[in-house]
Amino acid sequence: MTDLLSATDPYVWLAILGVTAATFITRSSLFVLGARVQFPPVVEAALRFAPACALAAIVAADLAFVEGQLRIDLSNPKLIAGCVGIVIFSITRSIIGTIAGGMITFWFLHFWLPVL
Amino acid sequence: MVKSGLSTLDATILSLLAYAGSAQLAAMPLIATLAPLWLVLLTAIIVNLRFVVYTALLRPHFTHLSAGRRLWLGYIVGDIMFVRFTSLLQQEPNHPHKVAYYTGGALANWAIWQVSSLIGIFAASAIPASWGLELAGTLALVALLVPLCRQWPALAGAVTAAVVAVLAHSLPLRLGLLCGVIVGIAVALAVDHQSRDRRARRRAASERFLS
Repeated sequence: MTDLLSATDPYVWLAILGVTAATFITRSSLFVLGARVQFPPVVEAALRFAPACALAAIVAADLAFVEGQLRIDLSNPKLIAGCVGIVIFSITRSIIGTIAGGMITFWFLHFWLPVL
Repeated sequence: MVKSGLSTLDATILSLLAYAGSAQLAAMPLIATLAPLWLVLLTAIIVNLRFVVYTALLRPHFTHLSAGRRLWLGYIVGDIMFVRFTSLLQQEPNHPHKVAYYTGGALANWAIWQVSSLIGIFAASAIPASWGLELAGTLALVALLVPLCRQWPALAGAVTAAVVAVLAHSLPLRLGLLCGVIVGIAVALAVDHQSRDRRARRRAASERFLS
């Protein structure tokens, strides 16, 4: 941890305000505009599929890379833990169970089977 | 967050104000390397784009409230509360206490997130990086993702988005994620359109047969 940057630095303050502004811009603008916004049907349909696509993209980019290297094979413990998570959620519908089962799988592969 | 080079105080203020886990994690390395401010803002907006989708879908349920109230209700939107609120409305679209349900749940989520985030900031040095705790966040997203893929178009879109996001991973600003989302949505729309066409053709054929 470096203390080269601090909150007394105007750059850091502006950056923090920028990220906060991004929160308000993306989350509150449609709420505040209210019923005045009307989307065409195609956009409405696209919005319906967007959450699944966004989450899939984030999850895949997280699981497929280990220290910046693409690793789509059985030697990637994160990828296997993610697949175990999908199976656990499909069967149990439990968020906590999915996280716990995935983490236990990851730790098992990572600490007890370091050859992988 | 603290591990990326910001001071504990900076990370605390950022967490309390911005309330944006993935956007904060994406913006942090940029701030630490003194990247231009427009780049920090754009990155945070891109990573937050899913909330535009959430609020577009939730918007009709809050139009009767004042603009100030809607501003705050938008600010506290989160992934988990969006999923819970949508499933409540599927069962009962005109639930009499839906605004209270949303407000209470989202505020509780905000408080728990802030407390956990602060614990993380101050405990960062105590937990070894090799434990890979950030994987727990990804697994939580897996649990949110699976129920969204029950229909063919959404599943096709999600698989496409995943493949494109991995292939385009080397693009700067995490733009690979945005590419994945755009191509994924296009595929989902195409599959949706085709299955609708097939249903319409079948209906037309059976009508011709009956007449």
